Formats: sequence, structure tokens, C-alpha cells
Amino acid sequence: MADARVRARVRVFPVAGREDAVLVATQARRLAQQFGLGAKRAAEVAIVVSELATNIAKHGVRGDLTLTLDDGGGRRGELTVAARDVGPPIRDLATAVTDGCDGEGPIDPALFLHRGGLGTGLGAVLRLSDRFEYQELPEGKVITARFFR
Amino acid sequence: MADKDRKPQVTVTSERLQKVIEALSFASVDEFDTCIALLQGSADEQDEFNELETAFSIFVKELSEAKNEVTKALSKAESANRQLEAKLETIEMQQAAIRELSTPIIEVWAGVLCLPVVGVVDSQRSAEMTETLLETIVAKQARTAIVDITGIDVMDTKTADHFIKMARAVRLLGAECIVSGINPGIAQTLTHIGVDLTGVRTMRSLRDALQFHLKETEQLAAHATPGTPLGRM
Repeated sequence: MADARVRARVRVFPVAGREDAVLVATQARRLAQQFGLGAKRAAEVAIVVSELATNIAKHGVRGDLTLTLDDGGGRRGELTVAARDVGPPIRDLATAVTDGCDGEGPIDPALFLHRGGLGTGLGAVLRLSDRFEYQELPEGKVITARFFR
Repeated sequence: MADKDRKPQVTVTSERLQKVIEALSFASVDEFDTCIALLQGSADEQDEFNELETAFSIFVKELSEAKNEVTKALSKAESANRQLEAKLETIEMQQAAIRELSTPIIEVWAGVLCLPVVGVVDSQRSAEMTETLLETIVAKQARTAIVDITGIDVMDTKTADHFIKMARAVRLLGAECIVSGINPGIAQTLTHIGVDLTGVRTMRSLRDALQFHLKETEQLAAHATPGTPLGRM
């Protein structure tokens, strides 16, 4: 465990509003490229970060986003995006990751504009990352997306 | 016992008392230096009352030093507070700028709107862009909207799909939508997910898109009755 901490770089970004999504995504893209991911992959990391940060700002009361750049120590390196918030849990994960749905079910397209989103955010996270994990915490939840180098 | 033999040598006159009272009243209005000078200046008699005066003067000196420090700390905290407030204001201004810059819609020509898309496009931002673009087309009575995505390398499939839908919605409003600057990656994404591209005009660059628009309006102007303003056709 201590070994893992030595070779991993961890950055935590608090997320309070929509604007933070832009800032964190920009940082994430830069860090991902420094980490050795290609430009296209780094842009995908940025999209995932942006979607997760937007979700925190929208549903999450308050939260933060942790980027872990694990060098792998000779083995395969891994970039982890963990979005933690103290908001309510996702009622139905399988529905939430379905495009055009939120945790409650399908979204009426007429409501896209008022709700400020398409309901495809978590779907994008699932599509663009190598591994997707969801965990409920005593207070809130954490969504983790992993990218292998 | 020697103590018993010593007679008390203290004579407290009303002048001496008055002096101490005066000194302390100076201390109460923060005139510590005057207070200390008064207390120390009355050293004409070396008795126990004089010791009391000295004790008072030491106490007042310490009080004045403590008060000085508190004042210093307070002013320091105040200036830090002011700096923090200035920083918070800057952050708020930057947040507003980010919000505004996320969907910049520019009227590049009479009746031609341009939405240059840069940075990271997520599902929420693409929904906001649609809303703003459609509203601006109506408000400005625009004939053409050019959505330039030269600055975008990667889009999620659903977001890309939504962009094409946005272009169709523009047509429903009676305007033409040109998507320019689609890069190879996004082109592949769009064809892979089988998006119906009928009715969506795409151009290689923003420049091509503008040229196309100008050529079209020229043709229209040639057929138009004289006096019809260009671009409002």
C-alpha cells in the first residue's frame, strides 16, 4: 500500500459549480498527456472528468474529484478518476447509465433544455473509460473511472 | 521580631491619590505614555505607596504592549481579509467569464451566426449550446448558423449525435446550419453510430462555410427585388 502511494500522484479538485467542470477537465487533459496518454485518450479523460464533475455540481450537493496517476511500478500504469459527492445515491445504476435516462428512468426529450443535459453523461463515462465502478458510501457515493496506459 | 518594630512610613496625601487616579484615567482612554509618565514622575517619596505606583506603571506598560499587539494583529487580519475578498471577486468574475465563453455566439455577418466550439464538450454543454444557439437564431433572425468544431478532437458518440440533431433543429427554425471543421476522429464516430446526415451541410473550415454562405446570398440577391437588404433575405 505504501509502495503504491510512492509511485502514484494524487490530485484532488473540489467541485462546487458548473464552472469547476471546465477547470478540472482542462487540468485533467494536461495531466493525462503528461502521464503518457495520447492526445485522443487524454481528450477522452477530459470528457469523462467533465461529465462526472458536472454531475457533482448538478446532483451532488458538494463533492470533489480525485485524479490518481499510478505509474504502475514497471507494470501497466493507470489513471483513475474518482468523483465523490455527498448527494443522494443513484436509485438505479443500470438505468442511469442508459442513454437518455437518469437514475429515475427515461427523460422526456422535451425536458432536455430545462434539465440542462441529455441524460447521456454516465453513458459517456462508461463508453470512454476502461473500467467503471460505482460505490455507495455511508454519506454519498463515489464513481470511479479507470484508464489504462 | 524586626517587622513588628518597623513603623509604617506611608503617608498618603490626597494629591498622591489624585495623581494615581488621573494616571489611570489616562490609561482608560489609551493614553498609556502619559499615564506611565505620571506614575513614574511621582517618585519623590520612597515608600510602599510608591511601590504600588511602580507596580501600576509596569501593569500599564504591559497592557499598552498587549494592546499594541492586538491592534497590529487586527490590522493584519483585516488586510488579509481584504485580499481574500479581492481574490473571491476575481474568482467570481472568472467563473462568469467561463460561463460566457462556453457558448460564444458571434454574428460574423448580417444574419450569419457563428458558434466556435473549443475545449471539452460534454453532454450538458452540448445541451446548453443547442439552447443558446436556437434562441439566438430566433432573436437575431439569422439565416445561417455556422457551428465550427475545429477545436474539438474527441466527442462522445451521444454528444456527436446531439450535435447533428442540433443542426436539424436549426433547419426547423428556417435557418441553414453548417457544421465546419469536423476532424477525422469525429467523422468516424458519426458514421460508425449511423447518424443520418441528410440535411446537414458540412464544410471543411469556417472560411469555406462563410464563403458558401456569401455565394448563396449573392445568388439570392441577384433574384431579389431592388432595395431588399442583403442578408435579411
